[in-house]
Amino acid sequence: MKKNLFLVLVLSIAFIGSVIAQERTITGTVTSADDGTTLPGVNVVVQGTSIGTVTNMDGKYSINVPADAEALEFSFVGMMNKTVPIGSSSVIDVALESGFEAMDEVVVTALGISREKKALGYAITEVGGEELATVKETNVINSLAGRVAGVVLTQSPSGPGGGTRVVIRGNNSITGNNQPLYVVDGIPMDNSGFGSANGTGTANYRRDDYGTGVSDLNPDDIESMTVLKGPNAAALYGARAANGVILITTKKGRSTKGMGVTYTHSSTFETPLLLPEYQNQYGQGTRGYYYDGSPSFELSDLLNSGGSWGGKFDGQDYLYWTGETRPYKAQPDNVKDFFRTGSNMVNTIAFDGGTANSSLRFSYTNDVAKSILPNAGLKRHNFNVRGTTNLTDKLSVDAKVTYFVQESENRPFHGTEGLMAYLYDIPRNLDINDLKDYQNPDYSVRTYTSGTNGNPYWIVNHDVNNDTRNRLLGFAKVNYAITDWLSAFVRIGTDFASQKIETIQQYGHHYYPTGQFNFRNYQTSETNTDFLLMFDKEITSDFKITGNFGGNMMYQTYEQMGVNGRDFKIPTKPTTDSARELNPSYTPLQEKRINSLYGSASLSYGNFIYLDVSGRNDWSSTLPEDNWSYFYPSVSLSALLHEFIDPGANFMNFLKIRGSWAKVGSDTGPYQLDIAYDMQQDGYLGLTTLTRPAIKLNPDLKPEQTASLEFGLEARFLDNRLFVDFSYYNIKTTDLIMDVPVSASTGYSNFRENVGEVENKGVEIMIGGTPYSAGDFSWDISANFSTNKNTLNDLIEGLDRYTFSTTNAGNVDVRATVGAGYGDIWGTTWMKNDAGQLVVNADGIPQVDATKKKLGNYQPDWVGGITNNFRYKTLSLNILLDARIGGQVYSGTDAGLDASGVTKRTLKYREEGVIVDGVVNTGTDESPVWTPNTEQITGQEYWGAYSGIVENYVYDQTNVMLRELSLTYQLPSNLFNNVFIESVSLSLVGRNLAFLYKDKDVVNFDPTTSYSTSNYAQGVVFYTLPTTRSYGITLNVKF
Amino acid sequence: MKTIKILLGFVFVLGLASCTSDFVEINKNPNAITSDEASAKYFITNPQYKLYAPDRYPYWRAHLINVDRYAGHFCFGFSGCWWNDGLSYVPNTGYTDAAWDWMEGYFSGINNFMGLTEEGADFENPLMYAAGQIIKGLYYQMFTDIFGMIPFSEAGNPDITQPAFDSQNDIYQGIIALLDQAMATIGDNTTTGDGVNDLGENDVWCGGDLQQWKRMANTLKLRIALRAYGAPNATWATGAINQALAADLLDSDVLMEKDAIISQWSAACYGDVWHNFGGTGSKWTVGKTLIDYLRDNSDPRLEKYAQVAEGGQFSFTRPKEADDVDGYTNFWKRVDFIFASLADADDGSNDITLVNQGDTLATITVPEEKYYIGQPTRLNGKIYGLVKWEFFSKPAEIVTQQKNIGQPIFPEIILTAAESYFLQAEAKVLGFGSGSENQLYQDGITAAMALWGTAPTAEFQASPMWTLTGTDAEKLEQISVQRWLSLYTDGFEAWSVVRKSGYPSILADGITDADIFAVGEAGLDNDYPQRMHYGNAPQSNNLDNYNAAVAAQGPDHQGTMLWWAKTAK
Repeated sequence: MKKNLFLVLVLSIAFIGSVIAQERTITGTVTSADDGTTLPGVNVVVQGTSIGTVTNMDGKYSINVPADAEALEFSFVGMMNKTVPIGSSSVIDVALESGFEAMDEVVVTALGISREKKALGYAITEVGGEELATVKETNVINSLAGRVAGVVLTQSPSGPGGGTRVVIRGNNSITGNNQPLYVVDGIPMDNSGFGSANGTGTANYRRDDYGTGVSDLNPDDIESMTVLKGPNAAALYGARAANGVILITTKKGRSTKGMGVTYTHSSTFETPLLLPEYQNQYGQGTRGYYYDGSPSFELSDLLNSGGSWGGKFDGQDYLYWTGETRPYKAQPDNVKDFFRTGSNMVNTIAFDGGTANSSLRFSYTNDVAKSILPNAGLKRHNFNVRGTTNLTDKLSVDAKVTYFVQESENRPFHGTEGLMAYLYDIPRNLDINDLKDYQNPDYSVRTYTSGTNGNPYWIVNHDVNNDTRNRLLGFAKVNYAITDWLSAFVRIGTDFASQKIETIQQYGHHYYPTGQFNFRNYQTSETNTDFLLMFDKEITSDFKITGNFGGNMMYQTYEQMGVNGRDFKIPTKPTTDSARELNPSYTPLQEKRINSLYGSASLSYGNFIYLDVSGRNDWSSTLPEDNWSYFYPSVSLSALLHEFIDPGANFMNFLKIRGSWAKVGSDTGPYQLDIAYDMQQDGYLGLTTLTRPAIKLNPDLKPEQTASLEFGLEARFLDNRLFVDFSYYNIKTTDLIMDVPVSASTGYSNFRENVGEVENKGVEIMIGGTPYSAGDFSWDISANFSTNKNTLNDLIEGLDRYTFSTTNAGNVDVRATVGAGYGDIWGTTWMKNDAGQLVVNADGIPQVDATKKKLGNYQPDWVGGITNNFRYKTLSLNILLDARIGGQVYSGTDAGLDASGVTKRTLKYREEGVIVDGVVNTGTDESPVWTPNTEQITGQEYWGAYSGIVENYVYDQTNVMLRELSLTYQLPSNLFNNVFIESVSLSLVGRNLAFLYKDKDVVNFDPTTSYSTSNYAQGVVFYTLPTTRSYGITLNVKF
Repeated sequence: MKTIKILLGFVFVLGLASCTSDFVEINKNPNAITSDEASAKYFITNPQYKLYAPDRYPYWRAHLINVDRYAGHFCFGFSGCWWNDGLSYVPNTGYTDAAWDWMEGYFSGINNFMGLTEEGADFENPLMYAAGQIIKGLYYQMFTDIFGMIPFSEAGNPDITQPAFDSQNDIYQGIIALLDQAMATIGDNTTTGDGVNDLGENDVWCGGDLQQWKRMANTLKLRIALRAYGAPNATWATGAINQALAADLLDSDVLMEKDAIISQWSAACYGDVWHNFGGTGSKWTVGKTLIDYLRDNSDPRLEKYAQVAEGGQFSFTRPKEADDVDGYTNFWKRVDFIFASLADADDGSNDITLVNQGDTLATITVPEEKYYIGQPTRLNGKIYGLVKWEFFSKPAEIVTQQKNIGQPIFPEIILTAAESYFLQAEAKVLGFGSGSENQLYQDGITAAMALWGTAPTAEFQASPMWTLTGTDAEKLEQISVQRWLSLYTDGFEAWSVVRKSGYPSILADGITDADIFAVGEAGLDNDYPQRMHYGNAPQSNNLDNYNAAVAAQGPDHQGTMLWWAKTAK
């Protein structure tokens, strides 16, 4: 009923809107200036309004325009836009010229200042809202994959609402955050996340991911996203610009006579893209045994062996883990059957409208996502109101409020003790349905082994991992045009988020038999107050100067409260009253303030040479008094040379060369200067006990310094049908604020110092154009390519490496090594003697060489993407491919699966065993005697040893993926001539559709997923959720 | 006019922007404690308990998984255990790292305590500093005896981020110097001061009794000097032994009460591993060597250390040759081995039985709740199926006691009177000191039994174990075995006793039969483990010194003998 009421309301408002708008009708035909063919699907909009239509199959349009409408705007992909005054005519025919509009493209730059793209001395990339909203991602940032050169995305595999690691132009910091600053409508947005995926923890047991701030944005509200790559473009953000900035501009209402209503619906469905390649010949057991109930082959013996190392399937009746006797045969889909088809339903309704002086836009989005995991998913509501008004000729106000609430259920834990570890490893003869009854009468977990083992259904149906996030973002901005060349604004904006996380391991849990819970509540806020004075003056007709001067006060807070408890008095009551052991924690308000003043000036001469300079001074409360004020300059120069080289534009339409240099930096968090002692809540025997922190702090900390040099070239040829954009950069970060790991025998684990130098050098190339355009058909293609070399040039004297993470087994770690790469993967190898022969022990089992060797690096050599757009009349097809070439990853998943004997590759040596081709030392350490091995070992022993050796599980990440596909059909507008519907488009969309190429050995996991989104625990994967393939429809209706 | 107003507004904002007046204030952590709010005694408790009762991670990985099993006290490897008993005889960097990181990371706490109490420091107190030196002595002895060469002389110097590894000989002499200084400082003092300057109850070992600290330091000096005695270039040991014997040694135990409430992530007990997991995966049994010595000599500690085996009747089927060639071939050999091990416990009633039913079926019966039976140490994975949990004795409840249920947990052994007497007896056999070696030996046994609330019984006194007899070598064997028995639950020292003395020889001699026992890593092969691998950390943050240590000491594996063990046997 409620739904119906809402619909009636929407429809009646829309109807009124359309009635008011009808004044007069203009018709016409749009053709191509090149060959005179008619153009279907051309957008026709009344200037300054949202009233619009598209041309039909014959290139004809008909539009109702208000009486005071002045002009019509015509736009079509691959054609130059054209604006035609209406005058008194009722028929307007138009011929569009082919080519790109980009020459005079206006883009949003730092501080939200709009600039002509051609004037910029650095590279930026803009992605339009349409591209983001057609194929929706629950985390909108994922849509940047393959679209922007120089950006590497690593998506958390947690399912809906998970976080994504975004690194632009390489990692600049070792221990600091390498992710960009997000700025939404001029207001920085906190992108921190909770959960171990974001932390510095390196444990591979269990990691959780509760998403990060930017995943809260609604793709339908986004007008455009601009990527300011690195310090050169972002210098005006000072301390926060070191890793680049992603500027997000949200939609405003349009100044129109009536009201516009847009409704979009998107339904997508998802299934696992890739599950491990299983064997289907051997089931639960050990040493090839069949469990027929005879002594030594009884139920208890079966339950002692959780791996799939039993006898070969013969279909005969044997003991099954439940105690029944069942035919012993494969259950090929037992893992697959655990998953369900996930879905994501997004409904957005947006109203916008306004007068000549005011506009208002309201949108509401409802997103219901069901994970591929049973009983997991999230619900979101996103409310957004944006209003602008001109109070006087000179004074205008712009304000926005976004409220966001998200409830997630049962986000999975990853890792060797995560959900997948208890699903992927199940014996090959186990019917997954038999695990659905997950609890024994004594409350304990019911599972197929006597050892400590989780039941996947217990985890998803009984344990709890829920979180709720509330977020309020808003700003108010007052603009004042002081004179025609001087204007100013004052703005205040805030981003407040609170997140509640509840995790419960129920009584009877395999690792916490008496139960435990952890309830946490976080509150973060950031408030920015800023002003900007803008100056724009033409000194002579050739010489123009624009300038800005502004200031900002940033205030960040963080608070946390939580309680964890263990040992429930009443097994079914995981409450604070029921816990015998309770540990509260409370972090009182932590504050951080950065005050800033900044200015920039742009000089241009003759519209072909542009010089920009900027400077910013920050004062940060987190640094010591002597160092808390620091200054960041930047300079850039660009020149347009095409008029000198090819004045007639016979071949070249545009050529720009550019260069820039910038310096930025970053500070640290609160309370990092003073040495203080920690008190233990539970002192030994109840005594008061104090300790000293393990990190030696530095009261003289300085900010990190990042200097970046960039050169670039942009060119357009052949009537703008081909374009190239090339950039080279070199970014050096020095004085890294780092907890330098030192020998614990110093008395500390780390010394906090300003040390070292990290360098990133890279090249970005974008190339694209319109290879074909004739008649009803056109094809646009755009490709980007980037490569980045990330090196650690220097640390401190005597220290040549920084270890990001060591796994719990200690056999693999990920490091930055001086003089070599950032993110090198080091691990154990087979032990070999000096002659290179494999060393086995007296039992014939190959040995591990515990001294680790470098086995790879997780950073790709290059990443790229290709976007294709085919258009035939009102039908358009978009294909996005993305590629990642080079880079390695250690798959702990594969190692674990092999040890369990469930993978196809473990079929090797099962029946016949193997005498490993190696040698055994029958002498001593000092004078070894290498004797050829003669001991035969079983396949189970071989794979047991094999799976412990890291070098066997380092895989190449190289892959090419069909990332996105969308087919959009714009319904002919004449269908709606007599109804209030303005336009309807329907898209079939698909995401993560298929690997077009990946390494042949990568059969059990997606080589692009990561175990975490922080700097730590990259390059290793342990039992993550499978990546999903999604497909569905998007419906877009404008009234 | 309007323009001016607006400009004034901007000037105001500009003023705010550069305002830093509250910066220092907001950057102060309200939770942090500064030295004027503290007292030195609050800093001693952590370095004390973290050395013997660290959190569950090292308690499991260092104590249980490595040294308690090397010591022959505990065993994994029964059916239903997560591991076969070959675990850690092949290197597992995860477990090794846990041990190394705990040991090396421990230094921070004691270094801080000494830094706070040293001359000129915030809480200058020479007597507290002396207590710190003694803790440091205990720490470095434990640390070096696990790994061999470690950073010592350059540790704790903030200007040296990569401290050199010292030889064990230097470390041992350095510890003696620390102990000598501490004993000299303590002199006749009984407390570290009055009020907050008295360590008092915050000293969880000696309750602030400085004379007990002094006796402990001297006993530790004797332990170290005797361990060094006979090692290459350890001529200094003779003097140190004589000095120690001439001063007061412990005549009462230094123990640490277990906190039966504290979170396992602060301080663990065996029960945190035993009870926190369902099933038998994480559990363990008591070693055969230990049980045999106790039972064969009617030792009253048997029932204090262990529980009678559950017992029961279990049948075993020989695997089919087609499924498991090795299991088929060695089936009877393994059955016979297990049966023979169990039958050792038989009191003559012949009620531990093996019945062979044809060639393919064997049934072993052990009477229920009757016998104390220890599990043979270091069984391999192939025999796992025959090693029934019910066959063997579990540790006594007080050892594996669960927290939070109001029951006491056996305390941590720091240094006992028993050890003091055994050391004196050993010194006497070696020709040092005065007094009766047999009396000292028996005092040691009596003190060791008292620790477990029992005393030498007539039956025990009738056993050959009660009286020290035979050649010096035989006497040393007896003393070493008793010392090893008295160190139950302190695997670190027990393992050192086996490595130094070569007794009990059944452990120290290593293993021979690869069909039954786990051969271990290449480099150890069938031998007794002499040390643990270094952790990953020094290879990451102190590589040159690590390499130098390996070059000086020998390959970084378990087979490399430590300096003081090189004279053993």
